[in-house]
Order: sequence, then C-alpha cells, then structure tokens
Amino acid sequence: MVKNFILRKRLFIFLTFILILPLSLSSAKERKQIWEYLNPEGVIKIEPMKINPHPDTLEGKTIMLRWNGKHNGDKFLERIAELLINHVKNIKVIKSWEVAPETVDPIAGSQERSLEFAKTIAKFKPDLVIGAQSD
Amino acid sequence: MGIPTVTISSSEFVSLAKDTSVGKGAADLSFVIVPHPLGMIPLAEIREKADRAFPLIMKAATEWKPEAKLPPIKPIYPAQKLIFEGTISEFNQYLMDKGFSIGLPVIPPTPERVKKMLKGTSRKPDELLGMVPPRMGALTVELVAIHAVMAGCKPEYMPVLIAALEALLDPKANWRGLTTTTATSSILVIVNGPIIYEVGIASRQGAAGSGHQANASIGYAINLIADIVGGSKSPSPDKSLLGGPGDFVAWVFGENQLALPKGWEPYHVDRGFKRTDSVVTVMGVYPPVDNIDHWSTSPEEHVRWWSYLASPLLSIGGPCWISQMDQPHIIAIGPEHAQLISGAGWTKEQFQKTFWEQARIPFSAWPKGCPNVDLLVKRFGPVNADTPIPMTLKYEDIHIVIAGGAGKHSHFFAPFPGCFPVTKLIRK
Repeated sequence: MVKNFILRKRLFIFLTFILILPLSLSSAKERKQIWEYLNPEGVIKIEPMKINPHPDTLEGKTIMLRWNGKHNGDKFLERIAELLINHVKNIKVIKSWEVAPETVDPIAGSQERSLEFAKTIAKFKPDLVIGAQSD
Repeated sequence: MGIPTVTISSSEFVSLAKDTSVGKGAADLSFVIVPHPLGMIPLAEIREKADRAFPLIMKAATEWKPEAKLPPIKPIYPAQKLIFEGTISEFNQYLMDKGFSIGLPVIPPTPERVKKMLKGTSRKPDELLGMVPPRMGALTVELVAIHAVMAGCKPEYMPVLIAALEALLDPKANWRGLTTTTATSSILVIVNGPIIYEVGIASRQGAAGSGHQANASIGYAINLIADIVGGSKSPSPDKSLLGGPGDFVAWVFGENQLALPKGWEPYHVDRGFKRTDSVVTVMGVYPPVDNIDHWSTSPEEHVRWWSYLASPLLSIGGPCWISQMDQPHIIAIGPEHAQLISGAGWTKEQFQKTFWEQARIPFSAWPKGCPNVDLLVKRFGPVNADTPIPMTLKYEDIHIVIAGGAGKHSHFFAPFPGCFPVTKLIRK
C-alpha cells in the first residue's frame, strides 16, 4: 500500500515536470513584439549665420593670420605670410599672436570667449582672416 | 562682423571643424585641408606643408562661395513616435545601428514609460532646456525623460538629472569642448543637500562606483544625451584619442555630508547656497589622481605627499594653457584623510592654502613649445627655469569636497580646459 503510494507520487512529479518543461523553455526564449517608442535623438535647432562674401583679389588687402596656440600653427602661418608678401601686390599681413597675444589659447572654452577673440581680431579691420587650428 | 575667413585644418580634424561650424549656424565655410599632423613635427616639414597648401589658400580666399544650406527647423515637441518589430535583443541592436545607443543595453522608451517618468518632475514636458552641443539637438524635458527611461532611472531622479543638464548647458561648463576633445575627459556630478537622502544618491562607500542605481542611471542618462542628442559620437565629432569609462557613465556622487569635519561647511555652502538647499554641481574633468596615503600621521606630512602626487597634472595648465590657471580644481577628500587634516585643528582654508603653496613644479618642466609663456610672466611674474609654478593663480580655486567611505584615499580632479564648476538648484 505504502509502496504503491510512493510510486504514484513519483509518477505525478515526473508527469508534472514533463508538462512544465516546455512552458519554462518557451518563457526563457525572447518573443518578437511590436515596440512603439519615442525618438531619443531630438531635433536640431540651429539659427543660420550669414556668411560673408570673399574678395575677388587679395591685392591691396589687409590679411589677419590667426593662430589659436596649437603647436606649429604659428610656424605654418609664418610661411604663409612670406608667400603672401612675395606673391600678392600691396598686401598687408598682420599676425594675431604678435598684435593680440591674449587670443592665443588652444581651447577658448566657451562661445563667449571665442566671440571676445573674434572681436579683438576684428578691431584690426582685416579684409580676410586665415586661421590655423587643430593638431 | 562682416569679415570672411579661410580655415586651415589637418585632415584628421576637418570633419570636427565642419560639424562645429554647422553647429554654430554656418552650413558651409571655406576650409583648406592639410595632411595630419601639424603639431610635433620639424620646422622643414611644416614649411613644406605650407608651400603645398598655399595655392589652395589663395583659391579659397578669392573664389570660394557657400553651397550647403542648413536643414529646416522642425517642431521640438512632442517627440516622434517610431515602431520596431522584434525581440528585446533585436531592438537594442537596432538602436545601436541607428546611433541611438552608446553600446550598452537600454530600456525601450515606450510612450507609457516616458509618461510615468515625467511624473517625477513638475516641469512641463515641452520646456526647452537648451541645445546640446555639438549637434545642437534641442533638449526638452520630455527628451530628458526618454533618456532617463533608457538609462534605468526612477522618476524621482528626474529633478537631479534635469538640474545636472541645466548646469551642463551653461556656457561655463564648456560641454562642447568636453565632447569633442582628443582628451580622456568626463563629466563630474556632485550632489549636495537633503535630496541625497530623499532619492537615494550614494554618498559614502564606493559612491561613484557600481551598485548605486541613482548615481549609475543618472550618470548613464547624461552620457546617452551627450552622444545621442548632442551627436558626440566617436571617431568624430568625439575625437577622444583613447576614451574611457567616463564616456559611458558620468562620475556621480553625493558629498558625504555626514563625514564633514567639525567646522567645515559642505561644498554647496562654499558655492553660496544654504545648507538646506539641494543642489548639483557639474564640471568637466580629466580622470582623477588617487592619493593613496596609509602612512602620514600629520596634515603637514599628508599634504606634502599629496602635492607630489598631484603635480603631474600641473603640466596641463601653466604656460601651455594659461586660462586653466583661472579654473577651479576639485579635491575629493576621503573621510579618513579629512579627519587627519581637521583633527590637528586645520580649517578647510588652511588645507587649500598649504596644498596650493606646495603643489608646484618648476617652470623648466613644461615643453619649450608652450604658447603662453609671455602671458604667464605678465600674470604670475618673472620666471626662470627653477621658478615653482602653481596649478592655479589663487588658492581659493582649490575646491574641497568630502567624498567616499572608509579607506585611505582621496581624489584630485583637474578641470578640462575651459570647464568651470556650475552649480544649479534642484527644482522638483
């Protein structure tokens, strides 16, 4: 009698296991579904800036060479200054690092400070600014 | 200002230069590209590169005309609803492929979850917080909630997250520089006041490390927003040479106000707020230097050792980037080190002064090519090879925070150039 009960109990556990196994396997498997989600990118909001026209010639013009302080940028612009003076008539070349050393800073740090630099350079009334930057 | 420009950029950085000009409103600018690099090469090579670039510079100066136009501005609210069919793994892969991820899994920002997240703040979902550089994505409160969901935030974290983002959007935080630099920089977020305990910001053992949901998820949300809304993706416009863990999760911790030495005010009081205010301070930083000191038995000995450990970071300021000498540097003192210092009767100011006086390196340590030697002399005074140069021009710019739990460590956070600490009140 007792043996019979134990056998029936074991059979019950075995059958329960067989029945539950596929269910647990199917719940572990990822299910496809339709995801409605909100775009995390956001829209670009930029106010357009007016772009100034370039001169047709550099003859008789004042050119500001602007160095931001990155290594060798001044050496590169020094050579450009020599070439401009040799190739263009009546050109005036101003070097920012000589006339406005406070504008030499590899990382301006803020738009306000960049604007300060630009205003300082504009005071020299150049017709064109040639700037060297990056590493 | 009415002045045309020609910008010379090296080939490795021209995409960043173009992205930056678009972000500032110039759809098209005149660029001349020279082969990378320009820095750290001999003079003869520089002159040769200039000779080759000269005809292109002349052409750009006199013939260039703008062609590209900016995209039209679309409504910033509500966020666009999108559909994807697939498993959760496929959804995450899809977000990664679309650029809506930074490589870690996210929770799908469904409209229902975002709506629930917005209940954590009284701010209106259509409120515009600002434009996230360099992409200039318009960051609304709704968009913050979308990223908070993706990062695993709880709704009650929203006021802290919003305040941190408002601080980052302040021009003094220099978020643009942080997200486009070649440096391994990251965002430091320090929380002060009762909010620490109200929402569960970790402020003691391992506070800025793993296992603290509020700190980790807020830090993750900030970087998701920087990369997805701000578009700061590697390799451009995020030009990080190596990058690091700070690119994934910002450093977030509460000041350990319970461990403040007697007579020392918490950091937010130093910043001009009341003790009862809840505030967040952000600053762009380099990876910190760990001050390991198990041995000192007096503040004098401890500060002397500390100043040697911190000295290598002096090289990023001084005659190389003089403006950094005006920027606050943050020392997160461990509670046990704070007890050593204050136990001998030292005030916070005494520590600041002594550290500032001792943490110096000789002028001769800087590379010869540093551009700001003349300005350094103008502001600091005459220098010779042996002149000890401090990290800042005044001792008050050494900021002190008590951080972490038991142990013999403190951390020194040097600012990324142009980044100042910005503190904002947390509004619920």
